[in-house]
Amino acid sequence: MSLTAEQWLAHLKALNFTKKFKIMNVCGGHERSITHAGLRGILPPNIELIPGPGCPVCICPEEDIYTAIQWATHENITLVAFGDMLHVPVNVPKNQARSLEQAKAAGADIRPIASPLEAVKIAQSQPLKKTIFFAAGFETTIAPVAAMLVEGVPKNLQVLLSGRLTYPAVQMLLETGQAAFDALIAPGHVAAVMGAEEWTFVAEKHHLPIAVAGFSAESLLAGFYSVARQFQTQHIALDNCYPQVVHKNGNPTAKNQLNQAFKITDANWRGIGMILKSGFSINDDFKEQNARLHFPNYDDQARKRAGEMPTGCDCAKVVLGQLYPNQCKLFGTTCTPRQPIGPCMVSDEGACRIWWSAGLRK
Amino acid sequence: MCLGIPMQIKEINYFKASCEAKGVEREVSLFMLQHEEIKVGDFVMVHVGYAIQKMTEEEAQSAWEVYDELLAMEN
Repeated sequence: MSLTAEQWLAHLKALNFTKKFKIMNVCGGHERSITHAGLRGILPPNIELIPGPGCPVCICPEEDIYTAIQWATHENITLVAFGDMLHVPVNVPKNQARSLEQAKAAGADIRPIASPLEAVKIAQSQPLKKTIFFAAGFETTIAPVAAMLVEGVPKNLQVLLSGRLTYPAVQMLLETGQAAFDALIAPGHVAAVMGAEEWTFVAEKHHLPIAVAGFSAESLLAGFYSVARQFQTQHIALDNCYPQVVHKNGNPTAKNQLNQAFKITDANWRGIGMILKSGFSINDDFKEQNARLHFPNYDDQARKRAGEMPTGCDCAKVVLGQLYPNQCKLFGTTCTPRQPIGPCMVSDEGACRIWWSAGLRK
Repeated sequence: MCLGIPMQIKEINYFKASCEAKGVEREVSLFMLQHEEIKVGDFVMVHVGYAIQKMTEEEAQSAWEVYDELLAMEN
């Protein structure tokens, strides 16, 4: 029988944790649940919860957004993208569009979508015009993009793929000594697709407590209790606190479709740099659908340099779980959801945006 | 983008399903669940229009409660 949130909290308190213990999550959905349910306020004071790399919009390389803006502005195409991507600002001279939203206002045919199914429908509705789907996201979003391609798309639909894998960022932090956490809560829905097993390296190779959790207070508190107990007993092994939808090996059909459509490549994370084997690129079997092979390349070194995080913005450190959102100087002063400077204030999954919308201020 | 929505299947037509959550109906692809036996009345976790896992009614109910709380707080 599953326990209630109160019971998990009582168990956690009964551990009588005296050491400072920092638990990182790597999922914007987790951070939203934690912040809005006020879980930080009810935990024993020495247990800290820090948001980590859980926002795909925040780490989407600026050169990819810039590329999407240029194609939408200069080519005779329709560009579709998940809504959050439209608002992310890029670093350009004042006379150019700073975001897809501004390019749209200036006349480019850019449309927000909520599903790859909509991209297919838009392409079908205008067979004489090319539709480019700017697809940024983590595994939960990129697996459906793979499914879309494997199922078959109209010839006039192409993809600007900017997909990332979640675990290599955590691996990079652990292997380069930059990890600022004592335990990890693994993302529930990423694990539902890719399998819980993907996260065993945290426990087995780095000897850090880890649990997969869902999005309810019960599941998250079960996860916090699990990692705290693992730490205290030193019986460290991946625990699954979301067995309802997370299985050891994930979703076999989804993984098969990902392998058919994409290969794993080294990839740039905005403000963070290249992370080994952390991105997806489109396989040759689907090269007709790979927009990067058919439109001008804006992904050069100068663009990469210009695409660092804005001056004074600590998004990169926030994304890596090295700073809390309100430790950034810009948070809530010059950077707010109405006028975001860094991408973490733009996306619903960005830690800064989540903290701001929950009323957390300086 | 990583927060899924549990939905109930109302109608199935090959890999396309009509699914419902809280009175809202949407077209959902079952293309990623080809390894599962899916029937009308089942509950699935839906991400960006694609069902990614099957779930029980009880689990769907508990997930909806979480989202209701989140929405209430954000509004």
